[in-house]
Amino acid sequence: MAQGKIVAGFVAPHPPHLVYAENPPQNEPRAEGGWEPLRWAYERARKSIEELKPDVLLVHSPHWQTLVGHHFLGVPRLSGKSVDPIFPNLFRYDFDLTVDVELAEACCAEAEGLGLTAKMMRNPNFRVDYGTITTLHMIRPQWDIPVVGISANNSPYYLSVDEGTGQMETLGEATRIAIEKSGKRAVLLASNTFSHYHFHEEPDTPEDMSKEHPQSYHGYKWDMRMIELMRKGRLREVMRLFPDWVEEAFAEVKSGAFPWMVSAMGYPDVPAELHGYGTVIGTGNAVMEWRLGG
Amino acid sequence: MAIVSAFLMPGNPLPFLQRANPPWGIIADGAVRAAAALAASKPDVLLIYSTQWIAVLDQLWQTRPHSTGLHVDENWYEYGELMMDVRADVDLAQACIAAATAAGIRSKAVDYDQFPIDSGTIVANGFLNPDARIQVVIAANNIYHDFAGTEQLGRIAAEQAALQGKRAAVIAVGGMSASYFDHDIDIAGDRIVNDATDAANRALLEAMTQGSDALRAGLPAYNAATKGDMGLKHLGWLLGATGGFEGATVHAYGATYGAGAAVVEFHLG
Repeated sequence: MAQGKIVAGFVAPHPPHLVYAENPPQNEPRAEGGWEPLRWAYERARKSIEELKPDVLLVHSPHWQTLVGHHFLGVPRLSGKSVDPIFPNLFRYDFDLTVDVELAEACCAEAEGLGLTAKMMRNPNFRVDYGTITTLHMIRPQWDIPVVGISANNSPYYLSVDEGTGQMETLGEATRIAIEKSGKRAVLLASNTFSHYHFHEEPDTPEDMSKEHPQSYHGYKWDMRMIELMRKGRLREVMRLFPDWVEEAFAEVKSGAFPWMVSAMGYPDVPAELHGYGTVIGTGNAVMEWRLGG
Repeated sequence: MAIVSAFLMPGNPLPFLQRANPPWGIIADGAVRAAAALAASKPDVLLIYSTQWIAVLDQLWQTRPHSTGLHVDENWYEYGELMMDVRADVDLAQACIAAATAAGIRSKAVDYDQFPIDSGTIVANGFLNPDARIQVVIAANNIYHDFAGTEQLGRIAAEQAALQGKRAAVIAVGGMSASYFDHDIDIAGDRIVNDATDAANRALLEAMTQGSDALRAGLPAYNAATKGDMGLKHLGWLLGATGGFEGATVHAYGATYGAGAAVVEFHLG
């Protein structure tokens, strides 16, 4: 068996507004459109997935927050209706996904081997979180590639940013080892918004783009600074600045997906491709790709 | 005021799901005593605020007339499943929405099939109102509302219940200290994560027994000493809705995987 490989990693944020605006048949609410630049960014990312032909998509989502360790979806098929508890007016989505349980178990075992607390989620009635579903829909709406779903352990909040980020980087290392042993071609999806400052009231028409802009100029400037470093392939510098980014831009990357992904990829110095950037209720969202070859 | 009783209930589902585990069974037993006290107060409606129903845009209120279905907690799925059976007092919830909006708190109704009512609300309602005979008003925890703002919401809900001539019980759903063990433990030996946090919890419970002034006086020291569940904003809801209380009975106190959980009945004037 050939050695498995991470063929690409994507920053793939999960505002449910993007699914809502696209009007897919799985989602009940109907929209007039909205957030087109971000949706077009995802169109480009979808083309990359088509080219890469991965065997599996691994997604780390901040909206499955776990208190005791890092959890992995461990049921071969999960389906149901996901109603977003925060935006139920926008996201009521019939999901049906196939889990690569074998790889999930391998990731879990490697994580335990590296000293993390890790668990397999085996309850067949588990309702998959909207962050995982949104990211997966936006990157591959056909739902024809098995997935590994990973929770966001709350260590960056419970402990310190440095300690929590360290755990996520260890989780990334475990993920890489498991993928290499699996022989599979894998794509990583970091389901994160960048600057997470947002408005506190929703417009009467949620997709009214005349109301959409960065909520915080300071947060926006942080996002641009970090995106520019990523475009230059300077991930080590991004991670050096990571705690300040988290603190000053209230960046959702704190929840762990981003450090998990870049650690799994080995902090590559290849320039990231920015497929697009836009705001959703004022938060900063970038769709970005690191193509690792193969 | 139309408030006939008030309770603090833990939102963690472990005592509900695994009563056979002694540390959690103690809490479940306390909840059973609270249920008896609630029944004796003969409420028409429960005014519920749960720290686990998170909102970030606007203030949300549940208006689905009857919510049913299976609920699996995202953390504690291995211990079992929860059955959702919640009947909303839609008229009162709509009145709360109108009154809150008039008070400058933009509010919205939530009426969606398969909406995932949070574990805390399901568990508290399951303990106190097991046959869902009593209708409820459920308000979300907007994480950007502070303690005072949450008091205002509770006050609005109580005022609207009074305007409708309803006897209301106030249910604050949430934990005490929010620090969990972050590794596997022997659940039979569950305890608060450390002695200092345990002492802070006990001191605040003692303050509750002395009345609402003592509770208010104790909150700053508590929040300085430990990380309370959402800043204990659920007690803001209770204080706002009741307008204060004279004392309390602690029916149970214990740990849920290291976090503090208490069942408290408040004695109204």
